[in-house]
Amino acid sequence: MLIENIKLAFNAMRGSKMRTALSLLGIVIGVASVVAILTIGDSASKSITESIAIGGLDMVSIYPSSGQRNTGIFDEAFGDMLRNDIEGIQAVLPQNSSTARVRNGKESINASVAGVLSTYASTLNLEFGEGEFFSSMDNINRRQVIVLGSAIAEELFPDQVVVGQYVSLFRSQAKSYLVVGVLESKDPSISLSYNNSVFIPYNTYSQRFIRTNGVGSYVVKIAEDYDTIEVSDAITEYLDNIVGTDGYSIFSPASLAEMAEQITGTFSSFLALIAAISLLVGGIGIMNIMLVSVAERTKEIGIRKALGASPNVIRGQFLVEALTLTLLGGILGIVLGSLLSYAVTNMLDWSLHLSYTSFILAMGFSMFVGIFFGWYPAMKASRLDPIEALNYE
Amino acid sequence: MAESVIRLEDVSRYYMMGDFIVKALDGVSIDISRGEFTAIMGPSGSGKSTMMNLIGCLDTPTNGYIDIDGENTAGLNEAELAYIRNRKVGFVFQQFNLLGKLTALDNVITPLLYAGVPTRERKQMAVHALERVGLADRMDHRPNELSGGQKQRVAIARALVNNPTILLADEPTGALDTRTGGQIMELFEELNSEGRTVVLVTHDRDLGMRCHRQIHIRDGKVEA
Repeated sequence: MLIENIKLAFNAMRGSKMRTALSLLGIVIGVASVVAILTIGDSASKSITESIAIGGLDMVSIYPSSGQRNTGIFDEAFGDMLRNDIEGIQAVLPQNSSTARVRNGKESINASVAGVLSTYASTLNLEFGEGEFFSSMDNINRRQVIVLGSAIAEELFPDQVVVGQYVSLFRSQAKSYLVVGVLESKDPSISLSYNNSVFIPYNTYSQRFIRTNGVGSYVVKIAEDYDTIEVSDAITEYLDNIVGTDGYSIFSPASLAEMAEQITGTFSSFLALIAAISLLVGGIGIMNIMLVSVAERTKEIGIRKALGASPNVIRGQFLVEALTLTLLGGILGIVLGSLLSYAVTNMLDWSLHLSYTSFILAMGFSMFVGIFFGWYPAMKASRLDPIEALNYE
Repeated sequence: MAESVIRLEDVSRYYMMGDFIVKALDGVSIDISRGEFTAIMGPSGSGKSTMMNLIGCLDTPTNGYIDIDGENTAGLNEAELAYIRNRKVGFVFQQFNLLGKLTALDNVITPLLYAGVPTRERKQMAVHALERVGLADRMDHRPNELSGGQKQRVAIARALVNNPTILLADEPTGALDTRTGGQIMELFEELNSEGRTVVLVTHDRDLGMRCHRQIHIRDGKVEA
C-alpha cells in the first residue's frame, strides 16, 4: 500500500510539474539554507581551530605584566618552579622578544627578534629549510648566531645559500650575526608569525638587548595525555596565588579554539533557527498545494471511496503524497545546501566539513513539516462525502 | 425461497433543502435474492439513485434497516461501510468513473489494493477479470486511449475483480451508443447467468424490461 501511495504521489507530481516545482521551492530553499549555514558554520569553526592549532594546541604562553619585570619572580628559574609545582608540563621555555631591523648590505627588513633557548626548536617541532638551530653552547657563550624565518631569509638573501652569511641586527648599535639556520615556511599562527621572526640565543639577547635577568614571556609545552585547558587552568590558579590576576596574562590557543568554536556554534545555530523559519513557510506552501490537490481530485477521492477505500486509506494516500513532496524537497535542499557550502568554503579557502547532523536535522524537519502541514488536507480528503465527491465535476 | 442478499426494511432517506424536508425515499421495503437480475426503474427524481446509493452503502438511511448479504448495515461507521463496498458491492457507473491517470490494469487492481490482496495475486486477479470482459489486449492503455464501450468493460472488470455479492450498475449504457450499450447489456446478462446478482438502475424502459424483475419507484415509494 505504501509503495502504491508513493507511486501515486509521483504520478500526481508528474501531472502538475510546474506547480510541484514551485511549491517544493520553499522546502528546498529552507533545507538548503539550514544545511549551508550549519555546514559553513562548522567549516568556519574548524578552520579557525586549525589556524589556531598551527601554533600548537598543546602550548600556553604566559606574559608577565610590565610591573612584574623587576620583582624577581619571573626569572629563568620560574620555569623550573612551574614545572615542578604543576602536573602535566613537559617544558617551560623562557623567551624575550622585541622588533628590530635586520640588514644584509643594502637590504633590510623589520623582524620580530626572539631570544630563546636552544631547546626551543625541538620542543616546538620547528622544521628547517637550511641548517639547524643554535646549540646550548652558543647560548652559554652568548655567541652572535641567528636563525632566520623563511620570509626574512627570502627578503635578505633571494635565491642564495643563507647559512654561513652574516646579517646585522640593530638595537642601539649594529652587531653582526652568523646565520646558522633558516626555518621552513610555516603558516602563521594566531600568536606568532614564524616566517617573519628571527631567533638568537637567549643569553645573547639578554646581554645585547635588555641586560636584566627578567623574562619577557614563557612558552609552556603541555605534556602528552594532559588536557591543555585543564593544565592552563591550573597555571592560572597557581599564578593568581603568587602575583595576583593583574600580575600576568596567559594565552592558550586551546582555550581560544574552544571559545571560537563556541562563538561560531552559537552563531550558526542562531542562523539555522532563522532558516528553519523559512522551512515553516515552505510547509505552508506544501499545505497550499495539497489543498489544491485534494480539491482537484475530489472526483478521484469519490471513486476510490466507492471502490472501498476507508477514510484512513484516503488520509494515508494524501499524507504520503505530502511526505513524498517534502522529503523530495529535503533531498534536493541537502544537495543544494552542500553545493552552496562547497562554493563558499572553496571561495574562502576553508576546508569543507559537511555537517551530517544538519542532514538528519533537515530531513527530520521536512518530514515533520510534511506530516504537520499535510495532515489537514489529508483529513479533509478523508472526510469527503462519497456521493458528493462522486458527483463532483 | 432463495437466500436474500439485499433487504430494505421500511427504509426512508430524507434530505434537508433549506427549510424543507425532501423525502427522497419514504418507507421502502424490498427484498432481492441471490442470483436475481433486477431493474430499479423510475423517472429522474423518483429516488432510484438514492436507493442505489443506499444499497451500495455510499449513504445511510434516515430510518429503516438495510441488510447486505445477510449483514445489517445499521450503525456501521465509515470504515466498516467502506469494507462492505469493497467486498460485497461492485459499482458500474454511467460515466465509467475510471481513474484517468492509471492504466486499465491498475484501475482494476485498485479495489484489490483496498482489500489487502498480496501484490502477485492482485495482478493475476485483475488480468483474469479483464480477460473475462474481453479486454486482455488493452490492459496497459489509459482510459483516454479507450472507446466508451471499452471503458465500461474496464469498469465492469473493476466491479467484478473482488468477486462481490452484488453488481450494482447505474445507467451503465447511458453514455454509450445503442449497439455498444446492447453489448454491455449482454455482458450483464452473461454475468447474471453465471449466478451473479445484478441490480440495474435505469430510467430506460426497454433496458429495464430485459431484466428478470422490475422494481418501479415513483416519488420515493415503490409502485406495486
